[in-house]
Amino acid sequence: MSDRMYPGMRAEERTGFAPYSAFDIPADLRELHGRYDVEATALRVRNFRYAEEWMMMMLGGWVATIPEIPVKTGLGKVIWQTAQAADELGKRLPELRCGRKALEASEAANSAFADLIQAIAEPESPDLTIEKLSGVFDVLIPHLVEIYELHNRETDPICDAPTIDILADMIRRKREHIQWGQDVLDALCETDALKQRRRERADHIASLLKASGGVTGVLETGQETLN
Amino acid sequence: MKRFIPHEELARDSRFVRQDPAQATVLASLPDDVDTVVNVFEQFGPLIEAGVRGTSAEPLFDELGPGFMISVLNEPLDPEAGAAVPRLLLRMHGIFVGELQALEGAARSIWDFPDAPWEFKMNMARQCWDEARHIQIFEKLLIHLGGHVGMFPESTFLFEAACSDDPAMRVAGVNRGLEGLACDVFRDMIRFAEKTDDEVMKQAVDYVLADEITHVRFGSEWVKEFTKNDPEHFRKTQDFRREVDKRFSFGGARSDREDAAIPIAREDRLEAGFTEEELEELAQISGEGPSKQTLMTAAKILHDRFKASQAAETTEATS
Repeated sequence: MSDRMYPGMRAEERTGFAPYSAFDIPADLRELHGRYDVEATALRVRNFRYAEEWMMMMLGGWVATIPEIPVKTGLGKVIWQTAQAADELGKRLPELRCGRKALEASEAANSAFADLIQAIAEPESPDLTIEKLSGVFDVLIPHLVEIYELHNRETDPICDAPTIDILADMIRRKREHIQWGQDVLDALCETDALKQRRRERADHIASLLKASGGVTGVLETGQETLN
Repeated sequence: MKRFIPHEELARDSRFVRQDPAQATVLASLPDDVDTVVNVFEQFGPLIEAGVRGTSAEPLFDELGPGFMISVLNEPLDPEAGAAVPRLLLRMHGIFVGELQALEGAARSIWDFPDAPWEFKMNMARQCWDEARHIQIFEKLLIHLGGHVGMFPESTFLFEAACSDDPAMRVAGVNRGLEGLACDVFRDMIRFAEKTDDEVMKQAVDYVLADEITHVRFGSEWVKEFTKNDPEHFRKTQDFRREVDKRFSFGGARSDREDAAIPIAREDRLEAGFTEEELEELAQISGEGPSKQTLMTAAKILHDRFKASQAAETTEATS
């Protein structure tokens, strides 16, 4: 066994340190494979950022026109965490060859998704808290969680690990937002008529979402292709 | 969803009633003349009365008459003074609705200015969370002191005065005017909590004050950024801030005068980015209102006339 601390230039001048692969300790079964290349991931991150930025903006617009105080205060936290999500996605873009000025780049997958965002943001009057919250917490955020999880399953787990880490943190917080939204909507929808209003709104927004192809423009898992 | 909403469209639940914002405007423009102050408040009497009926301010009105707000605003909070608890609750409720409007102002800034720089939106988003926590803190403190949400009428003049359609003026109004006033009020509340050994209030308000200094700093930085290379825009923004500061001084109740109920928190404001020059100007603007002597004399006349009128009504009813 060699007692050399540093390798020399000849075969017998190796060190004595034990050889491990980068995946030996702890055992790591990840493989180099993924559905998205750098450009595809960059486009998806811009798509995700578009949804997060607009969601933050519309929630900000609604705070003043929602009469229920716990909804106002609850949205305050959701707005901040959604802004942080958009910020983290923006910081990933220069790392994906989008240029150093790409920090604020957002891009709708298509005009139908941009229209969907405007449709979700449409309710304005103070008697429409159910419609406001249902579009975001029953439909949009659950959709985003689904797509973020899909991305994390399908992207290269080693090469695109920074995106995976960002999305994993976002997913954890979004699950909390969904739970908060469900609790609020359940409390607000006390009667069958109010429950029906919530269902109708969610169905309407879900149909627009489906027609748009979702945040990346390709909704069905089986139909996913490189963007 | 439209951009820019008037203060009348701030949504509230069934506990709230509104106060006519004209009262605050009038208070900010009163001259140092007892007769004028008395005449103005007598003129506003029916409006003030209608606004307080059915709220916890009703006993204060019944005791002091239409000038009750003069007494409440211009006397420092004193745990030993008469009606100390209702006055404290009135102040605390005013802070609660002020936080509500600060949240709404910051949140609307995110929606109203979609083309603003991303860092601006981030700052406003952070402020939303902070103001949301402040609402929760002041609801807790209100209950801690024996009060409840909606017990007094809400004046929406903070939102009305501060929420301009121009982003530089919006941050000058909300982040420097409204949040600067918050620094003054919270420093005063901390002093009051120390006097009454109320550790719960002292610690909570101290945390809130730390947040407000950050919000004022946002405002100081964004006013500079939005008016960069545009001296005329900067001048207009400063004029707007002066106008807001004048209205938020409540006729000198918040000022650097020796008799001020709410002194200007100079150290906190300096830390938040106000310059010495701006503070001198604020001291001058806020001290321009009627003297405390004028206001308290007017309040006494209003009280005496109100009591005389009540007595006359009683006599008439019994005869």
